[in-house]
Amino acid sequence: MAGSSVSAKSVIFQEHTALAIPAAEGYLLVDPKKCQGCLSCMMACSLVHHGSVNLSLARIQVTHDHLADFPGDAVISMCRQCIEPLCLKACPEGALHVDSAHGNVRTVDAENCIGCGECIKACPYPIARSVWNHESGLAEKCDLCAEAPFWKETGGPAGKKACIEICPVHAIAFTANVPMQEGDSGYLVNLRGKAWEQFGLTTD
Amino acid sequence: MKGMMGKILRVDLSNRRISTIDTSDYEGWVGGHGMGSAIFWDLAKEKRINGFDERNVLTLMASPLNGTPVPSASRLEMQGVGLQSFPTEWFTRSNIGGRIGAMLKFAGWDGIVLEGKSDSPVWIDIRDEKVRIRDAHDIWGLDTWETQSTIWKDVSGKTDFTRDWAEVNDEHWSTQRPAVLTIGPAGENLCRNACIIHEKGHAFGQGGFGAVWGDKKLKAISVIGTRSVTVADPDGLMKAWEWARKRYSKWPPDPDARFYNQFAPSVPAFQFWPTKKQGRRKACFGCFSGCHAVFADGKGTEGKCYPTIMYLFQDLKKHGRVTDATYEAVNLMNREGFNAWELGRGMGYVKSLFDQGELGPGKNIECDLPFGEYGGTRFVEEYLEMVIERRGIGDDLAEGMPRAAKRWGRLEQDQKTGLLPCPFWGYPEHYDPRVQVEWGYGTIMGDRDMNEHEINWLFWIGNPTDWIPSGGRKEPVISAEEVANILAEKMVPYQGDPRMLDYSEENIYSERFAKTIAWHRHFTRFWRQSVLLCDFRWGPINTYAPGNKGELAEAEEPFFSAVTGKKVTIEEGVELGRKIWNLDNAIWTLQGRHRDQVDFAEYIYREPFNSPQTNYMPGRENGKWKYLDMTGRRLDKKKFEEWKTRFYQLEGWDPKTGWPTRKILESVQLTHVADELEKQGKLGAAPS
Repeated sequence: MAGSSVSAKSVIFQEHTALAIPAAEGYLLVDPKKCQGCLSCMMACSLVHHGSVNLSLARIQVTHDHLADFPGDAVISMCRQCIEPLCLKACPEGALHVDSAHGNVRTVDAENCIGCGECIKACPYPIARSVWNHESGLAEKCDLCAEAPFWKETGGPAGKKACIEICPVHAIAFTANVPMQEGDSGYLVNLRGKAWEQFGLTTD
Repeated sequence: MKGMMGKILRVDLSNRRISTIDTSDYEGWVGGHGMGSAIFWDLAKEKRINGFDERNVLTLMASPLNGTPVPSASRLEMQGVGLQSFPTEWFTRSNIGGRIGAMLKFAGWDGIVLEGKSDSPVWIDIRDEKVRIRDAHDIWGLDTWETQSTIWKDVSGKTDFTRDWAEVNDEHWSTQRPAVLTIGPAGENLCRNACIIHEKGHAFGQGGFGAVWGDKKLKAISVIGTRSVTVADPDGLMKAWEWARKRYSKWPPDPDARFYNQFAPSVPAFQFWPTKKQGRRKACFGCFSGCHAVFADGKGTEGKCYPTIMYLFQDLKKHGRVTDATYEAVNLMNREGFNAWELGRGMGYVKSLFDQGELGPGKNIECDLPFGEYGGTRFVEEYLEMVIERRGIGDDLAEGMPRAAKRWGRLEQDQKTGLLPCPFWGYPEHYDPRVQVEWGYGTIMGDRDMNEHEINWLFWIGNPTDWIPSGGRKEPVISAEEVANILAEKMVPYQGDPRMLDYSEENIYSERFAKTIAWHRHFTRFWRQSVLLCDFRWGPINTYAPGNKGELAEAEEPFFSAVTGKKVTIEEGVELGRKIWNLDNAIWTLQGRHRDQVDFAEYIYREPFNSPQTNYMPGRENGKWKYLDMTGRRLDKKKFEEWKTRFYQLEGWDPKTGWPTRKILESVQLTHVADELEKQGKLGAAPS
């Protein structure tokens, strides 16, 4: 699996002396070529966070162009828990913050969020990984299931993540090591392996 | 009930009027087929209509489970009077996968009811609760793929879906493309064999609804939604998923188990390539298995199952190997919106007539198709073009195979020999009733090629082989006795008699085999066609599970209750299925049905079954269970008539007519249906 072997615990992003952002202790890695487009991950995400299923409230977005050919037909957009989180820096209220109680995931404190949408605009990765909740008028984002009130499991980097648990083909994986931040190769990885050969499909 | 959105969209195409029906008015039916039959009963005041009648009401119904992560709760059920069955156009059903069922729920709807006919081409644009009937002149004539991409651009504007969210409605956003159902040129030209396509290869394939849409001048329905589907017990649902995965699935799956262990990710169904393909497996919404595929070269994309073998043997015979022709046929067919069975079997029938010297240039049936190209792409292209444009005999074939045969004055003789391979209600052979007796019986006691695989898995377990394309039967991994025992235990309320799965000649006309068919009708009417679980994924046998017992009639309960908050036992669901089945038979009765019409094509009784492929079914021989070789089988007409009587008696219907009786209708709370049948002189007589 591509990625670094740098442990998150040794990484702190320090822009200046006043702002030191510890790295998240966990990251989602995905294999878009393995994805079967069932959207179970999106359903599970919204279900465990909201208690209902709504694709527009999922904090992982999977978009398939059902008329296109492989491999450009599938895009998986999950939060990268960036070492330098531009969404956090853009938040005027400090609502988007590092949750030190849950492995430093970058998450939105709903009580402080004013719904300005700056985090969404700031995300450099399309489709923006901060998600607009049109029902509450606030932003939300992937917290690695640290706060998943409708799921009686321990989430967060050290716990279970609903999207990983539910994906029928294991197209989503977890690492505690910091993926390469530049480009996509740190996060879009090949998870197919030998088991995939039985399907007669490419393992490249 | 949790999981339901609370309203059904009602579209009056004649008056261009949109209104809603409260789902709560029909909540007792749960969803899908049950709701569709009940709504048709209420809104189609005149039942004795054909498919082209303006009074024909179509329903497209979802269930509480669509749009939730219940494994393979991915289907949508359409009903109404279809155009395919012969000679009577029965009130019938069709079913589709893909994303459309879920997206309808996400838009806030439990279903759609279509009434009347538009006077000019239209499409229905659904964006959450905002619904418009829009002019379709610009998309009329486009193939199904072109139609969808045009509608996407219209609905989602200039959205680059790799980068942006699209605004659906008033600050409600989605990254998803609209889910679209559309007819192609086949439906527009009123071909009875036209279907309705979604994405590249999902289809309301059979039933003959493509031409109903064409006649109603309905080109497409587009749905995009941003709403929430409520779930009664989210944690319970996640736990059920985890439990089901551990019990019924395995990673990586066993390659040899793909024909029966349906709860695991599978090899795309029936794709054969000499080398590894650049592609992905592709699943319907929330499906575990993912039996479709998408390829870099686009060939046969989203095709699966019969469509991908429809032309394979012809291709092999012509070229000595499988070529692109097999897969180009799939794409052509899906673009035109043409049914795979009518295409594959139709080409076969026409070729047989050519081989016999009956059809061709200057022959009894004039036809200039390039038969030298049979097995190649050019033949399929020209055949499809000829039929869809209704040129020459294409006009006959556009009426479906049995009506074409009738026009050529060959119906009786070709039904006698089996040259016309349409054994039941004019539908092309899917499985042969001489072998898959339950398939034949279930179809003939109903309205269409039943396409329900619950018992069919016993055929696949009994015939494990790489028979496409190479041949040779391997030894089954599970004995005939064991599969019979496992499935028999599941067939509540008739459970416990493994001889219900005994395909011996002595048994297939028995009362216990009547129970088999009755169970199957009741079970699927609710647990598949109303709850909308994919029949292909929820099977009876699973070698990963304890005792090899599959998820069928076992795992539905925890998922249903986690979503809806209501506990429904398997048996209670089967009982509701019995009610739905009775309502359907009441509708057919009002359409003019009589037991005398319930009859297979003559070749099923006359001709011994023969095939180069292996055909084994479980059964008893000399007191011992084995897989019986069904070669040489025919159905005995007299015994079949006796079996029909047993079936009618078991169901509480009048064995003289096949009509439901007041007693049975009242027992399933359908007194008002009994009253209507009585008013029309169609109530079955009580047993004396």
